[in-house]
Amino acid sequence: MSKVVEISPTTRHEGHSKLVLKINDQGIVERGDWLSITPVRGVEKLAIGKTMDQVPKIASRVCGICPIAHTLAGIEAMEASIKCEIPQDAKLLRVILHAANRLHSIALHNILILPDFYLPGTDTKINPFAKVEPVRSVAARIIRLREIGQTIGEIAGGEAVHPSNPRVGGMYRNVTERARMKMYDLAKEGRQLATDQMEFMIAILRNFQKRDYCVVGNAKVPMPKDLGYHNQGYMAVDPMYGTNSLAEHPTWQPERWAESRPWDWYMGEMEIDFEDPSYPIGGTTKKGTKANPQMEACTGVPTYDGQPVEVGPRARLVKFKGYDEKGTVGQHIARQLEYVDCVYAILKSLDALNPSGKVLADPIPQGDGSMGWAANEAPRGTDVHLARVKDGRVQWYEMLVPTTWNFPTCSRALTGAPWQLAEIVVRGYDPCVSCATHMIVVDDDNRIVAQKLIQ
Amino acid sequence: MEHLYPEIVITGCGNPLYADDGFGPAVVESLRALALPVSVKVIDAGLGGPHFVFTMLDPAQTKKLVVVDIADFGGKPGELRWLSVEELPPGSYRDAHSWDLTEPLQRIRDEIKVRILCCQKKHVSAPEMEIGLTDEVKQAVPKAVSAILEEIGVEYGTVAILQEDTHGGRAESGCETR
Repeated sequence: MSKVVEISPTTRHEGHSKLVLKINDQGIVERGDWLSITPVRGVEKLAIGKTMDQVPKIASRVCGICPIAHTLAGIEAMEASIKCEIPQDAKLLRVILHAANRLHSIALHNILILPDFYLPGTDTKINPFAKVEPVRSVAARIIRLREIGQTIGEIAGGEAVHPSNPRVGGMYRNVTERARMKMYDLAKEGRQLATDQMEFMIAILRNFQKRDYCVVGNAKVPMPKDLGYHNQGYMAVDPMYGTNSLAEHPTWQPERWAESRPWDWYMGEMEIDFEDPSYPIGGTTKKGTKANPQMEACTGVPTYDGQPVEVGPRARLVKFKGYDEKGTVGQHIARQLEYVDCVYAILKSLDALNPSGKVLADPIPQGDGSMGWAANEAPRGTDVHLARVKDGRVQWYEMLVPTTWNFPTCSRALTGAPWQLAEIVVRGYDPCVSCATHMIVVDDDNRIVAQKLIQ
Repeated sequence: MEHLYPEIVITGCGNPLYADDGFGPAVVESLRALALPVSVKVIDAGLGGPHFVFTMLDPAQTKKLVVVDIADFGGKPGELRWLSVEELPPGSYRDAHSWDLTEPLQRIRDEIKVRILCCQKKHVSAPEMEIGLTDEVKQAVPKAVSAILEEIGVEYGTVAILQEDTHGGRAESGCETR
C-alpha cells in the first residue's frame, strides 16, 4: 500500500518549493512531484510597452541569484528581435561576465550541498562553517573563488550584482588594458583554486557514491546505486555561452518547445498519511494534511520534443563533450568539471579582447515587431528569453528559465529513491525556484488560462 | 585591490518591481549621481544582498557597512530610522530565498561597523509586480542620501557627476585599480 509523505519547504536552495512523494512500504518513491510554491509574478505582462532597454533590467530583478544570466539573455533577445549584431569585443566582455558568474555560482552551490556529504573515511557529515581543518581551508577556497568570480564580473559587467555595462547593441564601455590584466591575474589565481576545489569535490562525491548507507534524521537510509536516474533527455545550446535566433545554425528551435499546465502533469489531491518528525529541520508535514500538487504548483511544464528535459551542467557536457554519467552524483560531478571550463573561457576571451576595440553597434535598429530569442547557458541551464520589439518598445516577452525545465524532469528522477534522499536529488539540480515562478501559462490556443488556477 | 575592497560600503537592498521595496536601489541611484570619495563604494544589491555582498567586504580594508532597506517598524510611511545589528535578532529576517541576513551581520559586527538605515514602508506589492515608490517613500530618498553622507563623514557637500559618466561607469572605475 503506498503512502504519501510531504517535505515542505525543501531547503538549501533558492526559493520556496516542496516535495510530495508517494512511497511504498520500504520507503521507496513510486511517484514524486517536486513543485514550486513561490507565488506567481507576471514579469512578462509588466514588460509590454516598456522600452527594449528597460525590459532586461526588469528581468534581472526576477531573482536574487541570477541577475547576470537574465540581463544577458534579456538583452540578447531584444538584439535578436531588432536584428542587431554586436561587435566582437562586446561579445567577449559578455562571455567573461557570463563565465565569471558561473564560476561564482558553482562555488556558492558547493556550500549548499556540502552538508549532504561525508568526510571520506569517516561517518561525519561536512559542516562548511566549521572552524576545523580540512573544512576550514576548503571554505576559504570557496570564498576566494566567489570573490574572484564576482570581481571579474564587476570589472567586465560594471557592477557585481546587477551588471550595468551590458546594453542593447553591445556594452556601454570597453575595459582598459590595466583592467584586462587585473582580470587576467585573478583568473590565473582562480585556475589553480578551481582545479583544487574540483578535485576535492569529486573525491567527496565518489566517496558518497561508494557508501552503503546515509544518515538522514534518525534513519539509516541504504544508498541506491541509481539515485537520481531519469530517462528524460537533455537540452543545451552551447558548452559555455549561448545562441540566438540570428545565429547561422541556431542550436535551439522554438517550434520544438511547448508548454502544458501543471494540471496535466502533477498528481491530484491526496491526504498525507505518513510523517517523520525526526526528518531534518522540523520534520515532514503532519499526517492528515491535504496536498494537491495540481493546484499548488506555481510553474507551467515546458516540454522540448514533447517531453520535459534536463538542463544544466550535465546537459551541456552530454550534448557537447560526450559525458555520460547519470544520476545525482554524475550531475554534481559535471558541475565541478565546469569549474575549470569557466576559468579557461575567461582566459581565452581575455587573450582575444582588444581594449581599444569598439563595443557598441552603430546604428542600433529599433525593431519591426519580429520575434527574436536568445538562449543563454546560465549556471543552472538554458535560459531562453523571447521578445518582439517594434519601434524600440517591447510588444511581447517571455522568459523560459532553467529551473522551470528541471521541475518535471527532477520529479521523474525521484522514482526509485528512498524518500529521505529526495532532497539530495533536488539539490543536484541547483534549483532557483524564484526564477522559475514568474510566468503565465498558456493553453494550446495560446490563451492565458492558468494565472488564477496555479495560485 | 584597494578599489575593490573599499573602506566604506553602502548597499541598497530590495526589489524595484515591488513598489516601496525599491527604496534601497533608489537611494543607490541617487548616491551614484554624486561624486563620492574613492574609499566609498555604493552597491545595488537588489535581491541578492545576503548572497553577494559579504564576499565583497574585506575586514582588513572595510571599516563600515551601511545597509539601506525598507522595514516595518510601525512608523509613519517614509520615516527613516537607524537600526543597529543588535536590534535585528538572529532569524528575525529572512529574505525570500531562505537565506538569513542578520546572522552574518551579527558575525561581522565586531570587525566592521554595521549601520542599517531603514525607511518605513507604505506599500509593498509582492507578489504582484508594480514599479515605482509611493510618494511618502520617494520623499524619503533625498533625506536618506543626506543621512548617509553625514554618517560617512561627507558633510562638506558634494557635486553631481555628469550623466554620461554614470552610464556603466563602474566598468571604467574597475579599470583604475592600482
